[in-house]
Amino acid sequence: MLKFVLAIPKDRQERAWWIWVGILGFVLAVGLFGAIRVFVKGLQVTGLSDQVPWGLWITQDLSSIATGAGAFTFSAIVYLFRIKKYQPIARAAVFVGFLGYSSAMLALAMDIGRPDRFWHPLVYWNVHSVLWEITWCVILYSIVLVLEFLPIFFESTYFDRWPQLRKYGEMIHKASPVFAAIGLGLSLLHQSSLGATYGVLSGRAIWYKPSLPVMFILSAVAGGISMTLLLTILVGKLNHRQIITQELQFDISRIAGFALLAYLYLKIWDWAATSYYSHSPGTTEALVLLQTTTPYTRTFWWIEIILGGIVPAVILLNSQLRKNDRYSLFALGAIIVGVTVNRWNVTLSGLVAPPQWSPGVLGRILSASYLPSWNEIIVSFGIIAYALLAFSFGVKYLPIFPKNDQTSP
Amino acid sequence: MISKKKPARKKKNHNKALLSRKEFMQIAGATGAAAVFTQLITSGPLSPEAIQGIGERSHANAEGESKYAWCMAIDLSACIGCQYCVWACQATNDVPENGMRWNVGFPERTENGTDFFMTRPCLHCEEAPCVKVCPVGATWIRKDGIVAMDYKRCIGCRYCEVACPYDVRRFNWKPSINENPYQPDWGSGEVERRPRGVVEKCTFCSHRIDRGLALGLTPGIDREATPACVNVCPVNARVFGNHNDPQSPLSKFVQEKDTFRLREDFGTEPKVHYVRPEKEGS
Repeated sequence: MLKFVLAIPKDRQERAWWIWVGILGFVLAVGLFGAIRVFVKGLQVTGLSDQVPWGLWITQDLSSIATGAGAFTFSAIVYLFRIKKYQPIARAAVFVGFLGYSSAMLALAMDIGRPDRFWHPLVYWNVHSVLWEITWCVILYSIVLVLEFLPIFFESTYFDRWPQLRKYGEMIHKASPVFAAIGLGLSLLHQSSLGATYGVLSGRAIWYKPSLPVMFILSAVAGGISMTLLLTILVGKLNHRQIITQELQFDISRIAGFALLAYLYLKIWDWAATSYYSHSPGTTEALVLLQTTTPYTRTFWWIEIILGGIVPAVILLNSQLRKNDRYSLFALGAIIVGVTVNRWNVTLSGLVAPPQWSPGVLGRILSASYLPSWNEIIVSFGIIAYALLAFSFGVKYLPIFPKNDQTSP
Repeated sequence: MISKKKPARKKKNHNKALLSRKEFMQIAGATGAAAVFTQLITSGPLSPEAIQGIGERSHANAEGESKYAWCMAIDLSACIGCQYCVWACQATNDVPENGMRWNVGFPERTENGTDFFMTRPCLHCEEAPCVKVCPVGATWIRKDGIVAMDYKRCIGCRYCEVACPYDVRRFNWKPSINENPYQPDWGSGEVERRPRGVVEKCTFCSHRIDRGLALGLTPGIDREATPACVNVCPVNARVFGNHNDPQSPLSKFVQEKDTFRLREDFGTEPKVHYVRPEKEGS
């Protein structure tokens, strides 16, 4: 696929661009139809139930926020810790972050039963709810992302006619360290709280552990860096130009590798401590149920640990392997797949294997099942198409990637 | 940030006026913003008092002491499995769909092979996970112990369904428009139907309790003030009352019988007590 796309000669790229935009536009339109159908008919058109009330859209929501985490990571590195060599990728990170968070909000707007009441968490507060904290953090952080992105937006040639706006943009840009600090704080809060969403539920043994928030933020850092770097390399390849220097690319690959290693370390220990070296009845009960009725165990080991963890860690941390762009792209993509599958597995594991509360032995509280409906799937693809379309147009018309190999700040 | 920026500016312009107009405006603006922010977090809408007040303010019965602690007991050894409690609940609370049952019942078997019928209303946990997780405070524990729902505030995120380990909560996936086969065709429902997109659950028939108390009745004794499932039971397997009153039927029942609660290891402290389906040694 990649080879095919790269083989397109420069003079035919214009046509390829419009085909790409056309396909995405079509998927977006189908998704829009699905979204309208959901608003009209309600959530009965999903595959969700009272036993499995969260599914594909929550997974998408969690994954887009995780893969948007590159924004806070690179903003903090560049503007807060002032490691300037990573500056060339900071803009892309902020843009990808913004697209990730807006995708998450779109998915959430689909998922809540009363989208007309989306503003309730802002007015009616329950400070004991992690979801309330997440709502606030995500909204505030999205504002930070918009402010971080505005200067880039105003720099585009379209705004030549309004120099005043560009000036404001520069003023905002001067405050980058402030936004980076606020963004770091907000991200550390909500990225881990998304794990705590499940980690605090004492009634579901497979979720109830303090490691979930930490694993969520570590995997988000790895996934966020990967998404930003993957897209940067791809854009460079498609435009036949080098966007960031090779040394920088290898450097960032290594950071992603180390973040992944930290995540893997915790993940393996989490598994060992909860399911290997100890016996907790609730967790074992749920795992046995999952093993017999779902591919949970297989996807956990093969996709989360091996494909999305060990393999990319080896590629990105080996100085020879990471120099091969094809291996690098595979590794970065595998990390994103691993993080996404992890969010799916975490969400579904606690729901599909519910706790046995009946005092009898007939096992009437069976494992629940869930399969996304076609309506859920087209909406999800529509949201992905929105993100890709916005990214494509952004890359084409906005100064997101520095024009020269050696970039000016 | 302000203090950090100021010296840098001064150094740059050290041979000019102490403050340029622009700098003055910046500092004045920053000072103003700081003042407004301080106001916000000390006595404004972001102050601790305001934060704690928001959300609970409109639920007048959310906090404070009460002389009532409504509890239920279910005697599984007495239950004959007639399902009247399930249907009475559907009639009283206008739940037409069987899949939406607030009070569920199903045949079960003990380890020793004794068949029994298991029923479960909402357990109205003292440490209700659903209440803790609601991002808008649409579900809360009343001071009399009932876990209540505010259908006007619920946004339908279903986190409470995810949090509840007893599968108590029901979401309105579609508009509830079907005729209710459990209701008689005369009179009108005691409670309104819930709109599409919100979560609902067993209320311990709080509308009966509130009305009954206002009329001077005693819930658990006077039928008009007692949950429908308790009233309808032909073998009195369900007992209801005020746990704070040692003379209430519930307090006496729980004191006399050997009771347990569902999955106490969850730490949810349910307020529904069960009697085992088979007597010790039988």
